[in-house]
Amino acid sequence: MGGYFKNIKNGFQSVFEGLSVTMASMLVRPVTVQYPETDISSNETIQRSYKSTLMGMPENYRGVLGVNLETCTSCGLCVKACPIECIVIDTVKCDKTKLTDNSGNTVLNRFTQKEALKTRASTRFDINIGKCMFCGLCVIACPTRAIQHTNIFEMNRHNLDDLVIAFVPEEEKRAAMARGEEIEKEAAAKKAAKAKAAKEKQKEEKTDD
Amino acid sequence: MESILLGLGLEEATAQILGAILKALIVLLFFVTVGGVLTWVERRLSGFMQSRLGPNRVGPQGFLQWIADGVKLVFKEDLVPDGADRVLFRLAPYFCLIGVFCTLVVLPWGSGIIIADLNVGLFYFISITSLVVIGVLMAGWSSNNKWSLLGGMRAAAQIVSYEIPVGLGLLVPILISGTLSMQGIMASQGWLPWDWMLFKSPFTVLSFFIFFVGSLAEANRIPFDLPEAESELVSGYCTEYTGFRYAVFFLSEWANLFVVGALTTVVYLGGGNLPGMISGLWVVSLLVFFLKTGLVVFLIIWIRWTLPRFRIDQLMKLSWKYLLPAAFLAFFGQALWMLLTWKLPLVQLAMAVLIFLTFLVLLYLFIKRVSVNIKEQKTSVNSPLPAEAGK
Repeated sequence: MGGYFKNIKNGFQSVFEGLSVTMASMLVRPVTVQYPETDISSNETIQRSYKSTLMGMPENYRGVLGVNLETCTSCGLCVKACPIECIVIDTVKCDKTKLTDNSGNTVLNRFTQKEALKTRASTRFDINIGKCMFCGLCVIACPTRAIQHTNIFEMNRHNLDDLVIAFVPEEEKRAAMARGEEIEKEAAAKKAAKAKAAKEKQKEEKTDD
Repeated sequence: MESILLGLGLEEATAQILGAILKALIVLLFFVTVGGVLTWVERRLSGFMQSRLGPNRVGPQGFLQWIADGVKLVFKEDLVPDGADRVLFRLAPYFCLIGVFCTLVVLPWGSGIIIADLNVGLFYFISITSLVVIGVLMAGWSSNNKWSLLGGMRAAAQIVSYEIPVGLGLLVPILISGTLSMQGIMASQGWLPWDWMLFKSPFTVLSFFIFFVGSLAEANRIPFDLPEAESELVSGYCTEYTGFRYAVFFLSEWANLFVVGALTTVVYLGGGNLPGMISGLWVVSLLVFFLKTGLVVFLIIWIRWTLPRFRIDQLMKLSWKYLLPAAFLAFFGQALWMLLTWKLPLVQLAMAVLIFLTFLVLLYLFIKRVSVNIKEQKTSVNSPLPAEAGK
């Protein structure tokens, strides 16, 4: 009989507490973010309410690939590493330069531990994020960590063509092409001069005889 | 309405029939609108209670969602499953609809506003809602589906058992007002809270609880929605229904929500009673009635998102072992209380005020508890615990 009245008391108590919990959550702001309308990447309150970095993504999140052309040697290892060939690189010759990163430090090739040398420049560096499967093999292959995953996850585009991200801007491409042609011409001129010199030397040697 | 039609030069019999049809149409339109709007209100409120937004796309604040849903359902194919009892299957939703719809006849919307003030109003109310059981059972039986049949059987068992405590619980207000007419019950209360039926004596409070819990069960609302029980029975008795018939089931369910709220308001919360000075203003009376009904409907929705579903044996236990004895206790207690205080109206009033004050104290405690819970819920998941922050 004691259990009978205890049950009634428990019933009333739990309903009282339960109703207060639901009423409280009704009065607290909903947590829903109305995603496409709310700009999540510039909304500070949303970012602050997460512990992690930008937009609440963890640092090792594999988002859209990003390329830092400052440290890229255009070696093409990423193209070879990519299993679905979503990276396309065209290169031309350029002046031999030692690479420095954004803070001015010399970039090392992290496999050989030597200074990374840039001998070729990209005229085209396209990544098709429609094909990309975010495996990260290109990131592993890159000797200078120029290609890396960002934590951007918004990949929707209105056009299929927009799915291809071009990292080399048009002016830079034209400049690199022009410089490449110059270098080719210079090299050709040098070669010609060398050949001529060699010929003359041969001639001299012949006349000596 | 008949007088207007007579004025147009119609014969008396035609005017009577036309008037009746017009009245029925008006009430039907009201019924459909209330049922529809309540679906939106419920979804929106449930959203807020779960820290979501709920439907907010169609129209301002998503208000037109119910029209969109209705249009969608009407355009769906009307399927009758193979092996179903076709006649019963097609008829069943309308039994549910009629069972709820006919209750509107005796609902007093305010003092003097009623379609038919029957002298057995409350009795009519209890009996006409029993049609819903027949509809649900028919739907379950005729679907040729085990889940449906189980749902229908459960509904029958549940509604029949809860009708007894509800009927006995309603005896207490009938005892006090001395009439079964809805207007009579409303008129026996005043506009002040301690004149309401709810606060008249401890036994009316008890009878209110019995009636309210029983009505939840009769309306198949969570925590008593075993006939539907999605996790066990797919969708219970309406598993096989599609399109318009499905919409009719749900319309009657949500309209039932309104009807339960309205009945509670009329019988226990003073209905649309107004203070003596402005008692003639029927619009205000209507507003008061709708406000109180809305609060009760809110309470029902609120309970839905608070309590989990009962098990079938717990459901039966609650009805037969707890509510039924309590209903008898309330009835005899109230009879005794009325005998003892027959010539002491002051004692009655003092008791009413005392109970009202007790309710206020409970409300205060509840608000305090809510504020504690709000503080707890506002703490962000990622923020350090208070103990860690102190270090």
